[in-house]
Amino acid sequence: MPPSTPTDTPPENRSTAMPAARARGLSKTYGRGETAVHALREVDLEIPAGRFTAVMGASGSGKSTLMHCLAGLDRPTAGEVTVAGTTLTGLDDDRLTRFRRDRLGFVFQAFNLLPMLTAGQNILLPLELAGRRIDPAARSRAAEIAEILGIERRLGHRPAELSGGQQQRVAIARALITEPDLIFADEPTGNLDSGSSAEVLAHLRSTVRELGRTVVMVTHEDSAAAYADHVVLMSDGRVAAGVGV
Amino acid sequence: MRTLVWASLRSYSRRYVAAALAIATGVAFVVVTGLLASSARNGLAAGVEAPYASADSVVAQPGVDVAHRMMAEAGDRATPMAFVQQPVGTDGRQLGEEISVGSVSTVPTLRWQDLDDGRWPRGAGEALVDTEAAADQHVAVGDVLTVGSRPTAVEVRVVGTASSPSTLDGSPLYLTWPDLARFGDQVSVTAVALLGEAPALPEGVEAVPPDRFVNNLLTEINNEVDAVAMMVLLFAGVALFVAVLVIANTFAILFAQRRHDFALLRCLGATPGQIRGSVRVESLLLGVGGSLVGVLGGAGLGLALIAGVRSAFASAPLGAADLSPVWATGAFIAGLLTTMAAAWYPTRQVLRVSPLAALRPDDSASARTTAGRVRVALGIVLVTGGLAVLGWSIAATRTPLMAAGGTVCFLGVLTLGPVLVPPLIAMVGRVAGRALGVPGRIAAANAVRNPRRTAATTAALLVGVTLTAAVLTGLQSTRDSLASEMDTEHPIDLALTGATPLPQDLPDRLESVDGVAEAVAVHGTVGRIADTEVTLLAPEHVDGVVRDALAPAPGTIALPYLLLQDAPDTVTVSVAGRHADLRVTRGAGWGTAALVAPATLADLGGRSAPYAVWVGAEDGADAGSLASDVSAVAGAPTLEVVDGFSRRAWVDLQLDVLAWASVGLLGVGIVIALVGIANTLGLSVLERTRENALLRALGLTRSELRRMLGFEGLLLALVATAMGTVLGIGFAWVGLQVMVEPAVRSAPLSLPWLPLGAALGVAMLAGLLAAVLPARRAARVTPAAGLTLD
Repeated sequence: MPPSTPTDTPPENRSTAMPAARARGLSKTYGRGETAVHALREVDLEIPAGRFTAVMGASGSGKSTLMHCLAGLDRPTAGEVTVAGTTLTGLDDDRLTRFRRDRLGFVFQAFNLLPMLTAGQNILLPLELAGRRIDPAARSRAAEIAEILGIERRLGHRPAELSGGQQQRVAIARALITEPDLIFADEPTGNLDSGSSAEVLAHLRSTVRELGRTVVMVTHEDSAAAYADHVVLMSDGRVAAGVGV
Repeated sequence: MRTLVWASLRSYSRRYVAAALAIATGVAFVVVTGLLASSARNGLAAGVEAPYASADSVVAQPGVDVAHRMMAEAGDRATPMAFVQQPVGTDGRQLGEEISVGSVSTVPTLRWQDLDDGRWPRGAGEALVDTEAAADQHVAVGDVLTVGSRPTAVEVRVVGTASSPSTLDGSPLYLTWPDLARFGDQVSVTAVALLGEAPALPEGVEAVPPDRFVNNLLTEINNEVDAVAMMVLLFAGVALFVAVLVIANTFAILFAQRRHDFALLRCLGATPGQIRGSVRVESLLLGVGGSLVGVLGGAGLGLALIAGVRSAFASAPLGAADLSPVWATGAFIAGLLTTMAAAWYPTRQVLRVSPLAALRPDDSASARTTAGRVRVALGIVLVTGGLAVLGWSIAATRTPLMAAGGTVCFLGVLTLGPVLVPPLIAMVGRVAGRALGVPGRIAAANAVRNPRRTAATTAALLVGVTLTAAVLTGLQSTRDSLASEMDTEHPIDLALTGATPLPQDLPDRLESVDGVAEAVAVHGTVGRIADTEVTLLAPEHVDGVVRDALAPAPGTIALPYLLLQDAPDTVTVSVAGRHADLRVTRGAGWGTAALVAPATLADLGGRSAPYAVWVGAEDGADAGSLASDVSAVAGAPTLEVVDGFSRRAWVDLQLDVLAWASVGLLGVGIVIALVGIANTLGLSVLERTRENALLRALGLTRSELRRMLGFEGLLLALVATAMGTVLGIGFAWVGLQVMVEPAVRSAPLSLPWLPLGAALGVAMLAGLLAAVLPARRAARVTPAAGLTLD
């Protein structure tokens, strides 16, 4: 694939007027009374479209909870989340599920892939879940993405037969297959050595730079955050600072 | 280690619920059997000593001839305990085809019934009726009853009603010896109670003191009840075997999930012995708890069951139930041993965990345990050996050999399970999964992820389904084999024969009776064979009402087996001065008349009139009331009624009772197996929390997740049921060759499609139901919670 120029990217991702995701007064509290844990305290946040945003913070700072709430994996206690123009607050579980399926992509730290499916089947899974037909166009698209990520020779293998770095690249390929508005990555390099980490992070950055996607990555490693265009620092359930690069 | 055992039990107690339920169900089965046996024993033994209370000695099993002689010599101080089964009617209505008729003494001190109303019979022609039976059948003191069929029938007047203190010797009707004795060889005499010295007795018959006789009776009752209890315990054994499979599987899964804990303990310095000890104590406690619940629950259930049966059927011979300590302890120990045995193999697996396993990532969910070559070889040896023994059992028609061969063969199939079951599930899953899309495909893949676990889960269900299919198929085939024999023995549903010509309009009147399909008049006349007056019938146009050809060839005469038993091969039949020499054939089912061809009847001349009406019943007519309804319409008390329909229905009922009792008893094992499926699914769901959360994150809706788990349960149940049905049909075929074929002309396999289909449907539904709870629990977890779970 030739390197894309900014003009090739879809217009909605270039729009700076509309953020890819926005949180208003977002709070998440676990438990009640004296034992209550405030994972998020009235967070206001905008994730710019077409950029690579890193959410950083120490363990327990609320960064994973923030991502879960933004991605519709968990329900906030209070506040409102809008992703790609859709307000998630108030959607029922089925609608939320369909929204995730159609508009979002995910890369997790571990247990990213279903152990009984091959790498190729894992990549195509979101399309199948959405009930889309796996036509030659979809297959060639999957092959193209696999080639970009350097895993085209591993598609027939099961996750247990892949290295950690290869597993994460399969996960990225899977996140890309549905052409989502937003890709969430939760500590994608948490289990990897530094060489594999660098590769995976480079791939994530190129999905933003070359494919024009929006990526939000949760990490606690400075070296990982260095790949991002934009860093949100979380501390004690609040946004401590936003740093544009 | 005590802290550890308690902590483990506390944190994993919910995961042990299904295993405890399996043990408790098996133990409760044993306890209920014990209670029912004791209740039946007490019920049957109630009042057994009453008839002999005032006797000085008792002659046991003297036979009719000796009883006759004794009554002739000492009739004023002796009473036979005698029974005969006869049809009883009153005032033109039949009260029953086979009513048990007992004896009542004319010696005041030997009368053992409790007189409720009227007076005691003084001799021939007088009868005593059971008070309850009299109320049920609307018979009162003063009524005249006809006992027996026409030529030998006896008329008696009811002079009193009484109740029986003895369950064993109680009858609805009692006659004095002179009336009973008229039924000759049909009478069975169980004993003769005597006052004073016993008269001279022939060789081999002796008088014993009453208490010794009663003790012998009690022993006999005990032995009979014990024999039935042992049969039922066989089914309890099946249930416990299924429980072993379920519990072993539970332990295997739980230990796999706790591999990390065990390895960490090893890292911290626990010896393998300490871990084995703690796991053994866990299984011991589970066994104790489950067995206790089983004993208590079984006791409650058994008592409730007995109370229910007694209130529903007042005449049921159920007495007080007492659970002997031996029986309760036995059930408890059986449960405990079952648990310990089931935990043995998984415990050994636990000890293989190396301390290093704690440091490696958890891969229990994706562990692909492959069946070893040893297992495959062992399975093949068992199956081939079992088949060889089955073949031998067919050649030798030996039932024990068949049971042994079947067991070995089945164990072989269970051993091969991990190799056989997953490919089958994968195959069915591929086909059926297509309809359900991704959830279906993932479910099919999930169902076979761990071949040994899959095989163990289906094995439990396989046991019950195989036996059920074998019983259903075997009895259906037996029924079909018997059908042609029954057609010969009971060719006519109802045959009414008169001593005088019957009204011309009788067939039409009978056809209006509920349950009658067709009624045909059979013409005939009265003739003589030697000195005996015989009704000659010439059946014509009766194809619609007979099940077997009842058309004697010209020149022959069909005599019932019981009529003129000493007749030569050729008899001379005379009708009003004309004679014919006819060759004798024998048969039964139409009454005491003789059958001849219409041409033969014409040759003999004589006035031909309708002497009989043969009735064909509708399918599903009430066998209990058809004969009495028809006799009531026929209205003539002198009519002889032969009720082939109710006898056929009785045989059918016996087979039905046998089939459904077996299926009901096997059902306990099937229920335990379904608990096992629910348990495996539930534990797998716990293991796959992360995976399911990932699928949910990627866009699997809640209902799709539920459907996925439901389909997994369905697949497991479906494949187990299909395999079990095929195996069961195979075993049924062998059973037919060994047990039925030697007794009848031919025993072809006949499949009860409806019950087998119903069993398949029920199993699939149950598989779905087994997935309900696990699926609900899985669907409740939010994706975020599932993903962050440690």
